[in-house]
Amino acid sequence: MAVYATELPIRPDLDASHSEIASRWATTGSWWSGAERIAIVGEVRQARDGDDLAPWESPSQVDGLITDNHLLPTAAIDAIWRITNHPGTLTADWHASIISRGINPEAYVELVGVVAQANAVDRFADALNLARVDLPEPSSAEPQRLADKSVVVSSHWVPTAQVKGPNVIKALSAVPFEVDSMSLLSSAQYLQLGDLLADLVSDQNSLTRMQVEVIAARTSKLNECFY
Amino acid sequence: MNQDFQISFEAIDGSHVGDGGIEHGALLSRLCEAMFYEDPDQLASVRDDVIEVAGAKVLVDAVAVSANFYMMTRIADATGTPLDAGTVEPSVEIRELVGVNNFTSRREAQA
Repeated sequence: MAVYATELPIRPDLDASHSEIASRWATTGSWWSGAERIAIVGEVRQARDGDDLAPWESPSQVDGLITDNHLLPTAAIDAIWRITNHPGTLTADWHASIISRGINPEAYVELVGVVAQANAVDRFADALNLARVDLPEPSSAEPQRLADKSVVVSSHWVPTAQVKGPNVIKALSAVPFEVDSMSLLSSAQYLQLGDLLADLVSDQNSLTRMQVEVIAARTSKLNECFY
Repeated sequence: MNQDFQISFEAIDGSHVGDGGIEHGALLSRLCEAMFYEDPDQLASVRDDVIEVAGAKVLVDAVAVSANFYMMTRIADATGTPLDAGTVEPSVEIRELVGVNNFTSRREAQA
Protein backbone atom coordinates (compact mmCIF):
# COMPACT_ATOMS: atom_id res chain seq x y z
CA MET A 1 0.00 0.00 0.00
CA ALA A 2 1.28 3.45 -0.89
CA VAL A 3 2.55 5.66 1.91
CA TYR A 4 1.10 8.82 0.39
CA ALA A 5 -2.55 9.18 -0.58
CA THR A 6 -2.41 11.78 -3.33
CA GLU A 7 -3.10 12.39 -6.98
CA LEU A 8 0.44 13.70 -7.42
CA PRO A 9 2.60 11.35 -9.52
CA ILE A 10 4.90 10.11 -6.76
CA ARG A 11 7.13 7.43 -8.25
CA PRO A 12 6.56 3.98 -6.72
CA ASP A 13 10.24 3.62 -5.85
CA LEU A 14 10.18 6.97 -4.02
CA ASP A 15 7.03 6.05 -2.10
CA ALA A 16 8.51 2.64 -1.26
CA SER A 17 11.74 4.20 0.00
CA HIS A 18 9.83 6.31 2.53
CA SER A 19 7.91 3.25 3.66
CA GLU A 20 11.17 1.35 4.09
CA ILE A 21 12.80 4.21 5.99
CA ALA A 22 9.86 4.38 8.40
CA SER A 23 10.27 0.64 9.03
CA ARG A 24 13.96 1.13 9.65
CA TRP A 25 13.23 3.86 12.20
CA ALA A 26 11.20 1.34 14.18
CA THR A 27 13.93 -1.30 14.06
CA THR A 28 16.25 -1.87 16.98
CA GLY A 29 19.42 0.05 16.25
CA SER A 30 22.99 -0.49 17.34
CA TRP A 31 22.62 1.96 20.23
CA TRP A 32 18.98 3.03 20.45
CA SER A 33 15.92 0.79 20.82
CA GLY A 34 13.11 0.88 18.29
CA ALA A 35 11.02 2.90 20.73
CA GLU A 36 13.86 5.38 21.24
CA ARG A 37 14.42 5.70 17.49
CA ILE A 38 10.72 6.42 16.97
CA ALA A 39 10.96 8.93 19.82
CA ILE A 40 13.85 10.60 17.97
CA VAL A 41 11.64 11.04 14.90
CA GLY A 42 8.85 12.32 17.12
CA GLU A 43 11.21 14.87 18.63
CA VAL A 44 12.26 16.05 15.16
CA ARG A 45 8.58 16.72 14.52
CA GLN A 46 8.28 18.57 17.84
CA ALA A 47 11.29 20.69 16.95
CA ARG A 48 9.92 21.58 13.52
CA ASP A 49 6.37 22.22 14.61
CA GLY A 50 7.02 23.88 17.96
CA ASP A 51 8.01 27.39 18.91
CA ASP A 52 11.21 28.61 17.32
CA LEU A 53 14.18 28.51 19.67
CA ALA A 54 17.30 30.50 18.99
CA PRO A 55 20.41 28.37 18.37
CA TRP A 56 21.73 29.11 21.85
CA GLU A 57 18.48 28.04 23.50
CA SER A 58 17.94 24.36 24.34
CA PRO A 59 14.55 22.73 24.87
CA SER A 60 15.84 21.34 28.17
CA GLN A 61 16.18 24.92 29.41
CA VAL A 62 12.58 25.83 28.58
CA ASP A 63 9.92 24.85 31.10
CA GLY A 64 7.37 22.44 29.74
CA LEU A 65 9.03 21.58 26.45
CA ILE A 66 10.24 18.16 27.58
CA THR A 67 7.96 15.82 29.47
CA ASP A 68 9.25 14.37 32.74
CA ASN A 69 9.01 10.76 31.56
CA HIS A 70 10.60 11.29 28.12
CA LEU A 71 12.22 8.20 26.67
CA LEU A 72 15.31 10.10 25.52
CA PRO A 73 18.03 11.78 27.59
CA THR A 74 17.83 15.57 27.59
CA ALA A 75 21.19 15.86 25.83
CA ALA A 76 19.78 13.83 22.93
CA ILE A 77 16.67 16.01 22.78
CA ASP A 78 18.75 19.18 22.79
CA ALA A 79 20.87 17.72 19.97
CA ILE A 80 17.81 16.75 17.94
CA TRP A 81 16.35 20.29 18.12
CA ARG A 82 19.63 21.98 17.27
CA ILE A 83 20.45 19.66 14.35
CA THR A 84 16.90 20.00 13.03
CA ASN A 85 16.49 23.76 13.27
CA HIS A 86 19.98 25.24 13.22
CA PRO A 87 22.37 22.83 11.45
CA GLY A 88 24.50 25.65 10.07
CA THR A 89 25.43 26.80 13.57
CA LEU A 90 26.93 23.53 14.81
CA THR A 91 30.50 23.60 16.04
CA ALA A 92 33.04 21.14 17.41
CA ASP A 93 32.56 22.65 20.87
CA TRP A 94 28.82 22.11 20.68
CA HIS A 95 29.35 18.48 19.66
CA ALA A 96 31.79 17.99 22.53
CA SER A 97 29.26 19.45 24.96
CA ILE A 98 26.61 16.94 23.87
CA ILE A 99 29.03 14.02 24.23
CA SER A 100 30.16 15.29 27.64
CA ARG A 101 26.54 15.02 28.83
CA GLY A 102 26.68 11.24 28.48
CA ILE A 103 25.82 10.50 24.87
CA ASN A 104 28.03 7.72 23.54
CA PRO A 105 29.87 8.98 20.41
CA GLU A 106 28.61 6.10 18.27
CA ALA A 107 25.09 6.51 19.63
CA TYR A 108 25.33 10.16 18.58
CA VAL A 109 26.16 9.02 15.03
CA GLU A 110 23.07 6.82 14.94
CA LEU A 111 20.97 9.70 16.28
CA VAL A 112 22.29 12.04 13.57
CA GLY A 113 21.34 9.50 10.91
CA VAL A 114 17.76 9.16 12.13
CA VAL A 115 17.35 12.92 12.67
CA ALA A 116 18.65 13.68 9.19
CA GLN A 117 16.38 11.10 7.54
CA ALA A 118 13.32 12.36 9.41
CA ASN A 119 14.06 15.90 8.29
CA ALA A 120 14.21 14.75 4.66
CA VAL A 121 11.12 12.54 4.69
CA ASP A 122 8.92 15.02 6.56
CA ARG A 123 10.11 18.00 4.52
CA PHE A 124 9.05 16.12 1.38
CA ALA A 125 5.54 15.51 2.72
CA ASP A 126 5.16 19.02 4.10
CA ALA A 127 6.24 20.67 0.84
CA LEU A 128 3.63 18.73 -1.11
CA ASN A 129 0.95 19.29 1.57
CA LEU A 130 0.72 15.54 2.26
CA ALA A 131 0.21 13.73 5.54
CA ARG A 132 3.58 12.71 7.02
CA VAL A 133 4.41 9.02 7.07
CA ASP A 134 2.88 7.10 9.94
CA LEU A 135 5.33 5.88 12.54
CA PRO A 136 5.25 2.08 12.86
CA GLU A 137 5.16 0.12 16.08
CA PRO A 138 8.74 -0.17 17.29
CA SER A 139 10.65 -3.38 17.70
CA SER A 140 10.83 -4.52 21.31
CA ALA A 141 14.35 -5.98 21.10
CA GLU A 142 17.07 -4.20 23.04
CA PRO A 143 20.10 -2.79 21.20
CA GLN A 144 23.45 -4.48 21.78
CA ARG A 145 25.31 -1.22 22.39
CA LEU A 146 28.65 -2.78 21.49
CA ALA A 147 31.49 -0.36 20.85
CA ASP A 148 33.39 -1.00 17.63
CA LYS A 149 37.10 -0.62 18.36
CA SER A 150 37.87 -0.23 14.67
CA VAL A 151 36.10 3.13 14.43
CA VAL A 152 38.13 6.11 15.56
CA VAL A 153 37.97 9.88 15.52
CA SER A 154 40.26 10.95 12.69
CA SER A 155 38.82 13.27 10.05
CA HIS A 156 35.39 14.11 11.51
CA TRP A 157 34.20 15.07 15.02
CA VAL A 158 32.60 11.65 15.20
CA PRO A 159 34.31 8.25 15.04
CA THR A 160 34.43 6.81 11.53
CA ALA A 161 35.49 3.57 9.88
CA GLN A 162 38.26 3.27 7.34
CA VAL A 163 36.10 3.54 4.22
CA LYS A 164 36.65 5.16 0.85
CA GLY A 165 34.41 7.74 -0.75
CA PRO A 166 33.25 11.29 -0.06
CA ASN A 167 33.60 12.43 3.54
CA VAL A 168 29.84 12.93 3.90
CA ILE A 169 29.33 9.23 3.14
CA LYS A 170 32.06 8.35 5.63
CA ALA A 171 30.37 10.50 8.31
CA LEU A 172 27.94 7.80 9.49
CA SER A 173 30.26 4.85 8.87
CA ALA A 174 30.46 4.00 12.59
CA VAL A 175 26.87 2.80 12.22
CA PRO A 176 26.62 1.00 8.85
CA PHE A 177 22.83 0.60 9.16
CA GLU A 178 22.49 4.39 8.94
CA VAL A 179 24.78 4.56 5.92
CA ASP A 180 22.45 2.08 4.23
CA SER A 181 19.40 4.17 5.16
CA MET A 182 21.06 7.31 3.81
CA SER A 183 21.89 5.51 0.55
CA LEU A 184 18.36 4.17 0.28
CA LEU A 185 16.85 7.65 0.58
CA SER A 186 19.42 9.35 -1.60
CA SER A 187 18.95 6.82 -4.38
CA ALA A 188 15.22 7.53 -4.50
CA GLN A 189 15.30 11.28 -3.85
CA TYR A 190 18.55 12.38 -5.48
CA LEU A 191 20.68 9.86 -7.33
CA GLN A 192 22.62 6.68 -6.77
CA LEU A 193 25.60 7.69 -4.67
CA GLY A 194 27.84 5.68 -7.00
CA ASP A 195 26.75 7.96 -9.85
CA LEU A 196 27.64 11.11 -7.95
CA LEU A 197 30.76 11.76 -9.98
CA ALA A 198 30.68 8.85 -12.43
CA ASP A 199 27.76 10.22 -14.45
CA LEU A 200 27.39 13.98 -14.61
CA VAL A 201 25.02 14.25 -17.55
CA SER A 202 22.17 11.71 -17.39
CA ASP A 203 18.68 12.92 -16.55
CA GLN A 204 17.31 11.92 -13.17
CA ASN A 205 13.67 10.96 -13.58
CA SER A 206 11.90 14.13 -14.83
CA LEU A 207 14.84 16.46 -14.09
CA THR A 208 18.05 17.17 -15.97
CA ARG A 209 21.23 16.60 -13.99
CA MET A 210 21.85 20.33 -13.98
CA GLN A 211 18.40 21.02 -12.54
CA VAL A 212 19.12 18.41 -9.87
CA GLU A 213 22.39 20.07 -8.94
CA VAL A 214 20.87 23.56 -8.84
CA ILE A 215 18.20 22.33 -6.44
CA ALA A 216 20.83 20.55 -4.33
CA ALA A 217 23.11 23.58 -4.22
CA ARG A 218 20.32 26.09 -3.55
CA THR A 219 18.97 23.95 -0.71
CA SER A 220 22.43 23.48 0.79
CA LYS A 221 23.02 27.21 0.65
CA LEU A 222 19.69 27.99 2.31
CA ASN A 223 20.70 25.60 5.07
CA GLU A 224 24.06 27.40 5.30
CA CYS A 225 26.00 24.19 4.71
CA PHE A 226 29.54 24.89 3.60
CA TYR A 227 30.36 21.27 2.78
CA MET B 1 31.92 16.46 -22.10
CA ASN B 2 30.85 18.75 -24.91
CA GLN B 3 28.47 21.50 -23.88
CA ASP B 4 27.05 23.99 -26.35
CA PHE B 5 25.50 26.20 -23.71
CA GLN B 6 26.61 28.25 -20.76
CA ILE B 7 25.47 28.03 -17.21
CA SER B 8 26.12 30.28 -14.25
CA PHE B 9 25.55 30.15 -10.51
CA GLU B 10 22.63 32.61 -10.58
CA ALA B 11 19.93 30.14 -9.59
CA ILE B 12 21.98 28.98 -6.61
CA ASP B 13 22.24 32.55 -5.40
CA GLY B 14 18.48 33.00 -5.32
CA SER B 15 15.35 32.94 -7.46
CA HIS B 16 15.45 36.70 -7.94
CA VAL B 17 18.65 36.54 -9.96
CA GLY B 18 17.70 34.40 -12.93
CA ASP B 19 17.74 30.93 -14.45
CA GLY B 20 21.51 30.76 -14.80
CA GLY B 21 21.11 29.03 -18.15
CA ILE B 22 19.19 26.14 -16.59
CA GLU B 23 15.65 25.36 -17.68
CA HIS B 24 13.25 26.68 -15.01
CA GLY B 25 16.28 27.49 -12.84
CA ALA B 26 14.69 30.49 -11.10
CA LEU B 27 11.40 28.68 -10.57
CA LEU B 28 13.13 25.65 -9.04
CA SER B 29 15.15 27.98 -6.85
CA ARG B 30 11.88 29.62 -5.73
CA LEU B 31 10.53 26.18 -4.86
CA CYS B 32 13.60 25.53 -2.69
CA GLU B 33 13.11 28.85 -0.93
CA ALA B 34 9.43 28.13 -0.25
CA MET B 35 10.35 24.73 1.19
CA PHE B 36 12.95 26.33 3.43
CA TYR B 37 10.80 29.16 4.76
CA GLU B 38 7.69 26.96 4.98
CA ASP B 39 5.18 29.70 4.30
CA PRO B 40 2.00 27.82 3.29
CA ASP B 41 0.82 30.46 0.82
CA GLN B 42 4.23 30.74 -0.80
CA LEU B 43 4.44 26.96 -1.06
CA ALA B 44 0.97 26.63 -2.59
CA SER B 45 1.73 29.34 -5.10
CA VAL B 46 5.04 27.88 -6.26
CA ARG B 47 3.60 24.34 -6.42
CA ASP B 48 0.92 25.64 -8.81
CA ASP B 49 3.51 27.47 -10.87
CA VAL B 50 5.79 24.45 -11.18
CA ILE B 51 2.89 22.20 -12.21
CA GLU B 52 1.72 24.74 -14.78
CA VAL B 53 5.14 25.42 -16.28
CA ALA B 54 6.98 22.12 -15.90
CA GLY B 55 4.46 19.49 -14.82
CA ALA B 56 3.56 17.55 -11.70
CA LYS B 57 6.35 15.00 -12.14
CA VAL B 58 8.91 17.78 -12.05
CA LEU B 59 7.30 19.17 -8.91
CA VAL B 60 7.51 15.82 -7.10
CA ASP B 61 11.04 15.06 -8.23
CA ALA B 62 12.28 18.56 -7.42
CA VAL B 63 10.76 18.45 -3.94
CA ALA B 64 12.39 15.05 -3.42
CA VAL B 65 15.83 16.36 -4.39
CA SER B 66 15.54 19.40 -2.16
CA ALA B 67 14.25 17.28 0.74
CA ASN B 68 17.25 14.99 0.35
CA PHE B 69 19.53 17.91 1.14
CA TYR B 70 17.80 18.46 4.48
CA MET B 71 19.34 15.08 5.24
CA MET B 72 22.76 15.57 3.69
CA THR B 73 23.35 19.03 5.17
CA ARG B 74 22.48 17.79 8.66
CA ILE B 75 24.76 14.77 8.33
CA ALA B 76 27.63 16.97 7.15
CA ASP B 77 27.15 19.70 9.75
CA ALA B 78 26.37 17.48 12.74
CA THR B 79 29.39 15.23 12.22
CA GLY B 80 32.02 17.86 11.44
CA THR B 81 32.48 16.54 7.93
CA PRO B 82 35.55 18.16 6.38
CA LEU B 83 35.84 19.11 2.73
CA ASP B 84 37.13 16.22 0.66
CA ALA B 85 40.79 16.12 -0.20
CA GLY B 86 41.24 17.44 -3.69
CA THR B 87 38.20 19.70 -3.61
CA VAL B 88 39.51 22.49 -1.39
CA GLU B 89 41.65 24.32 -3.97
CA PRO B 90 39.49 23.67 -7.07
CA SER B 91 36.37 24.97 -5.31
CA VAL B 92 37.82 28.29 -4.12
CA GLU B 93 36.34 30.28 -6.99
CA ILE B 94 32.99 28.50 -6.89
CA ARG B 95 32.68 29.03 -3.15
CA GLU B 96 33.30 32.72 -3.63
CA LEU B 97 30.78 32.93 -6.47
CA VAL B 98 27.97 31.19 -4.62
CA GLY B 99 28.68 33.12 -1.43
CA VAL B 100 29.18 30.41 1.18
CA ASN B 101 32.42 31.66 2.70
CA ASN B 102 30.73 33.48 5.56
CA PHE B 103 28.92 30.41 6.87
CA THR B 104 29.71 29.18 10.39
CA SER B 105 30.03 25.70 8.92
CA ARG B 106 32.95 26.89 6.79
CA ARG B 107 35.17 27.11 9.84
CA GLU B 108 34.19 23.61 10.84
CA ALA B 109 34.45 22.03 7.39
CA GLN B 110 37.94 23.41 6.88
CA ALA B 111 39.25 22.68 10.35
